[in-house]
Amino acid sequence: MRVSIFLLISTAINISTPVAAQEVEIRIADSKGDWGAPNPFHHYPRGPGYVRMSWVFDTLIWKDQSGYIPALATKWLYDSERMVFCFHLNPKAKWHDNTPLTAADVVFTLAYFKKHPYHWISTAPIKTAKVLNPYSVEIHLSTPYASFLSDIGGSMPILPRHIWEKVKEPHSFSAPEAFIGSGPYRFVDFNKAQGSYLFKAFADYYQGRPKADRLIYFRSGRPLVSLSTRQADLCSIDADMAQSLKDKGFVVIQNERGVNRKLMINHRKAPFNQKNFRHALALAIDRQEIIAKSQRGFGTPASYGLLSIDHPMYNPDTPVYHFNLSEARRLLETLGYQRGADGFYHREGQPLEVQLLSSGFSATGQGAPDRDAQVIKKQLENLGIRIELVALEQTTADSKIQNWAFDLAVSGHGGLCGDAKILNEMIASSYGAGSVNSARYDENPELNQLLEMQMREMDKNARTKIVYRIQELYAKELPAISLYYPLSLSAYNPHKGIDWFYTKGGIGKGIPIAQNKMSLIRP
Amino acid sequence: MPATPRKHIISAYLLAGLILIVASYSLPLWLPGDFVTAAYSGSEITLTAAQAQKVRAFYAHDQSLGSYMADMFTLKWGYSYIFQVPISELILEALPWTLVLMGSAHVLATVIGFIAGVEMAWRRGSLVEKFGVGGATVMAGIPELGVGVILLLVFSLHLGWFPAAGGKTVYADYAGCAQLLDLGRHLALPLTTLFLAYLPANFFLTRGSMVLILGQQFLETARVKGLPPVRIRYAHAARNALLPLATHFGMRFAFMVTGAVVVETIFAYPGLGALLFNAITLRDLPLIQAIVLFSSLAVLAVNLCLEFVYAFLDPRVRYVS
Repeated sequence: MRVSIFLLISTAINISTPVAAQEVEIRIADSKGDWGAPNPFHHYPRGPGYVRMSWVFDTLIWKDQSGYIPALATKWLYDSERMVFCFHLNPKAKWHDNTPLTAADVVFTLAYFKKHPYHWISTAPIKTAKVLNPYSVEIHLSTPYASFLSDIGGSMPILPRHIWEKVKEPHSFSAPEAFIGSGPYRFVDFNKAQGSYLFKAFADYYQGRPKADRLIYFRSGRPLVSLSTRQADLCSIDADMAQSLKDKGFVVIQNERGVNRKLMINHRKAPFNQKNFRHALALAIDRQEIIAKSQRGFGTPASYGLLSIDHPMYNPDTPVYHFNLSEARRLLETLGYQRGADGFYHREGQPLEVQLLSSGFSATGQGAPDRDAQVIKKQLENLGIRIELVALEQTTADSKIQNWAFDLAVSGHGGLCGDAKILNEMIASSYGAGSVNSARYDENPELNQLLEMQMREMDKNARTKIVYRIQELYAKELPAISLYYPLSLSAYNPHKGIDWFYTKGGIGKGIPIAQNKMSLIRP
Repeated sequence: MPATPRKHIISAYLLAGLILIVASYSLPLWLPGDFVTAAYSGSEITLTAAQAQKVRAFYAHDQSLGSYMADMFTLKWGYSYIFQVPISELILEALPWTLVLMGSAHVLATVIGFIAGVEMAWRRGSLVEKFGVGGATVMAGIPELGVGVILLLVFSLHLGWFPAAGGKTVYADYAGCAQLLDLGRHLALPLTTLFLAYLPANFFLTRGSMVLILGQQFLETARVKGLPPVRIRYAHAARNALLPLATHFGMRFAFMVTGAVVVETIFAYPGLGALLFNAITLRDLPLIQAIVLFSSLAVLAVNLCLEFVYAFLDPRVRYVS
C-alpha cells in the first residue's frame, strides 16, 4: 500500500512538460511575461514586445549573425541620384490568410504608418512610395537618410492592405485579423494573466516551414530555474551562471557589447555645467572596480564615446579618462574648490555635496538591481565630494531624470550595436528629448552639426569618419559618463535542434535579444 | 427616533466605502512618473519631444472624480493602458488564481494553526510544546521572500519536483485528472510559502487565547462532569478562542491582493498581486485605481461579514448588540 502511494506521488511530481505527439515545441521564459499582443499597435514599446511581433510580421529585410539578409525583399538597391530605394519582393510571400503579398501592401504600410505613427520607425524622410509592378516597389526619400535600412527596411512590419485599409482606429483593433502577418508563425493566443503566448508554424512561409511547430513564451519569476529544470528551452542568464549551465549541457551564447551603464549628469546646472568638473568625475571613477564589485568581473569598461569596440564605426582613438585621483583633485581646485581637514571639498563656505540617484535597471526586458551606485559613492567621496545616495524605484528615478530634477544618476540603455543614429538619440535633445537615457546636450555646435550630417551621409566610409569625430567630441564634452558594458548572455537547450544566436547589430533597431526568427527557419 | 445599531453599522460602512472610492481615485495620481516614462524608459525607441507629447496626450488621464465615481457605480472600470482591454476582464482573469492560492493558504494555515495552538496550549510546559513554540518562532522570523526562494531552489532547481513558475503548464494538452495534477504541482510551492508564513500567527493567537481560557472555572466543571478531554478542549475551551482567530482570518483574507504580491512575483503566479505589481511598475493608472478599489472594498466587505460572524461565534456579541 505504502509503495503504491509512493509510486503515485512520484509519478505525479515527475510529470514532465508535455509535447503533443510528433510536434516540436520551443518554450522561452522571461521574467515579465506580458509584452502586449503581437501586432504593431498593441505590442509594448520595448524589445521583447517587438520580438514577439516579429514572429508574425515580416519586414522587407532582416538581420542575422553577419548583417542584413533578404526577407520579404530578395534584392534592394539605392539610387543616390534620385534618392530612391528600390525593393524587389519575393513572389512566394503570402499572408497567413493565403492572400499574396505584393508591392501595394508595402506602399500601403508606409502611408498607414505616416497616418498612424509606429514609433519604431521614422517615416519623416519618406516623400512617396510607388508600386512599379506587383513585386517591385520604389521608396522616394525627401532627404538622404543613412539609417533607412535599420529604421525602415529592417524594422518596419509590413501590414496586409486588405485588412488594415478598413481600420480607422488601429489601437482598438484587436480582431483575429489584426494578427494576420506574413511571418513564419501565426499568432494563436496571448494570455494576459499568465503572461504567455502561443504561436504556431506557418507551413506556407515563403522561406520554408519553420523548424518548431509551436513556439511558446511564458512568464517565470526565475527564468534560469525554468531553464535548468528543462521547462524552458531558452532564456537570458546572468554571467556567473554560465559555467554551471555549460556543465549541465546547455549552450551559452554571448552578445556584442551593445548595452551600457552610464552616469547621467545634470549638465544644465552648476557645477556640472563645467566641463572640467565632469572630467574630474570621470577621472575619479575607477570603472574596473565597479565591474569587479557590482558585476563580479563580468563586463568591459565602456568607450567614453558610447559605441563599443564591436560596432563597425567605433573610434579606437576616442579620449580615455584613466583613473587618476590627483588629476581629478587638481581639476576641482582649478574651479576654486578647497579641500578641508575632513577630506571634503568646499567653495565659498559651501560644502561640495551632490545627490546620486540609484534605481533598478532594465535592458532586454530583464530587470537588474543597481549595485553600481554604492561603489561610485565611495569613489567620489574618496575624491572629496559628499554624496547623498538616494535609491528610488525605476520609474520615479526616470521621471526625475526626465525633468532634470537630479544631480547624478546611474542609468543605462541598449541599442549601442545598431545603427549609429543611436548617437543622435543619446546625445542631442532634438532626437532624444523624450528619452530618460539621452544626455540631451546641445552645448557644442560642431557636435550637433555632425550629428545632423551623419544622418544625411549615405556613403558608409564618409559616414564613419563623421561618426569617429562625434565620438571624440562627445568623449571630450562628457555630458554623461559611460561606465561599462555588462556581459550579456543567453543559454539554450541544444537537444531541441535549434541554434539560437545573437543578431549582429541587434534585432530591428538594435534589440539585444537572442530570439532571431532565422534560428527557426534555416537548416 | 434614534437609529438602531445595525443602521449605524451600515451607515458607517457606506461612508467608509465612499472614502475608499475617493482614496482609490486620488492615491495612484500621486505616484511620480507616468505611463509614458515607464513604458519608454527602457525602450529601444527614443521619442522626440513632439512624439512624447503626442503619446502623453493619447494616454492622458484627465478623468474627474465625479465621472470616476459615476463609472464605478455603473461598473465601467475603463481600459488598461498596457493591455488595451477592459480592466474588468483583467481582474476577472486574475482573481480566481489569487482566490485559490490565498484562500487555500488561509484555510490551511488557520485550521492547522488552530489545532496546533489548541494542542500545544493543552500540553503547556511539555517538551513537545517547547519544540512547537520554538519552531513556530523561527518560522515567524523568516520572511515570505526567504521561504519562497529556499523552496524554489530546493524543490524546483535541485530536486526538480515542482515547476518554478506559473499557475499551470501553459498550452499543455491536459484534461481531467492530469490537468488538476498540473494545477496542483504549480500551486504547491507558492501555497507552502504562504502557509508557512501564515501558520505561526494563527498558532500563537490560538495558543495564547487557549492558555487564558484553560485556567477558567467552567472547564473544571466540564472535567468534573467526566467529559472526554477532546470534547473539553474543542467544544468548551477552543470555541472561546475562535473570536480573535476569526478576526485574524478575516483581516488576512481581506488583504489577499497585497498579501499575494511577493509570492505571486517570486513564482510568477498569475494573480491579482502580480497584476498590481506590474501595473504600478508601468504606471498603468486605470488598472492601479481599479485594483486598489477592488482590494479596499474587499477589506470593507470582509469586515462587514465579520460583524455577523462574531455574533454567530460568540452569543455575547449578539446580546450586547
